Amino acid sequence: MTEPANESRERVLAGTYECITRAGIGKTTVEGAARASGVSRATIYRLFPGGRDELLRETVAWEMARFFAHLGAVLGPTADFRTFLERALPLAREQVLGHEVLQRVLEHEPERLMPLITVEQHHVIGYLAAYFRPLLAADRDAGRLRDGVDLDVAAEYVARMALSLIASPGRHDLEDPAEVSRLVHHELLGGLLP
Amino acid sequence: MVGVPERASDALLTCIARFGLSKTTLDDVAREAACSRATLYRYFDRKGALVTHAVDMELARMTALAVAAAGREASLADAVVALVTVSARELVAHAALQFLLAHEPESVLGQLAFGPGDRLLVRVGDAYAPAFHRWMSHDDARRAGDWLARVLRSYVLMPKPSIDLTDTGAARSFLEELVVPGLESAGRSERERAGYPGS
Repeated sequence: MTEPANESRERVLAGTYECITRAGIGKTTVEGAARASGVSRATIYRLFPGGRDELLRETVAWEMARFFAHLGAVLGPTADFRTFLERALPLAREQVLGHEVLQRVLEHEPERLMPLITVEQHHVIGYLAAYFRPLLAADRDAGRLRDGVDLDVAAEYVARMALSLIASPGRHDLEDPAEVSRLVHHELLGGLLP
Repeated sequence: MVGVPERASDALLTCIARFGLSKTTLDDVAREAACSRATLYRYFDRKGALVTHAVDMELARMTALAVAAAGREASLADAVVALVTVSARELVAHAALQFLLAHEPESVLGQLAFGPGDRLLVRVGDAYAPAFHRWMSHDDARRAGDWLARVLRSYVLMPKPSIDLTDTGAARSFLEELVVPGLESAGRSERERAGYPGS
């Protein structure tokens, strides 16, 4: 019996993530991922011709996408994009800090994680920008944006800066609602509002 | 006469641009700097200490260039464009940094994101802030510095940037449209809250 390629792919990514959870990135091998996901090594190499490197990269991208999909589900619908960001930023930051696997890997093998997360982040930026664009379009149609905003450039800008803020907030305290509101109305959306 | 720490820092950058950080030894640096091993070790007993010194020097040098460029401009928008484009060009033309990003990314990226990234953004933000004192309070200027450091990190140092911030035209339309209004509105609302006349 063969299952569709995307189901096998999902299983392999989940199995690889399980290996990382258990043993860290450095000790995750193609053999281990095959065992954890119940497929053969040959299947893994067929799905990920780049082998271990590609498998690790794709697993990081998979978990990042899962993280944000979960976040979107928790947030539910909001009145407008400003309200969405005001709720999303503190929640995302809280979930980054509470993400046990991420925090463990950051503590013990940051040198292995950082190149993977950096290389994969353009997928996440694309994913977030695609998520933000219709929210921005709805705001524009409701007259909540200034005229002439380029929605693609704006969606990517907000996606990049939001991702940047939740990974390293710098001096901004994302637990403080007044600070988050200021960030959203000025730095993030100051150029977009009427 | 240039001191040993400065010469050693320049020599380290030359060595890194040639064969990377992991393969560079303090002996290589001493040879490149044309000083004795003993002299170099008096200042830096480990490679890590020299790397820290070189990073400090380069950050100070590049941010000072950017702030000076902003200082020659008459409006906030022009100052932002000058600071960002000069910084972007310095980063893109930095042979040692670019070698590391291409061949030993783990050596640089770990310093750019999450906790270490926080500290770097604060340092660069503090260095940029004086460029904006003419237009806003010190607190707002620091906020503007922090934000531009963040914009540069994402659009210049992360892969696949969609806008080339080394290009003045592209940088200007992006910054004037999306970034500068956010910095200006922060300053403006502060003045409004404080009840400044004429705002």
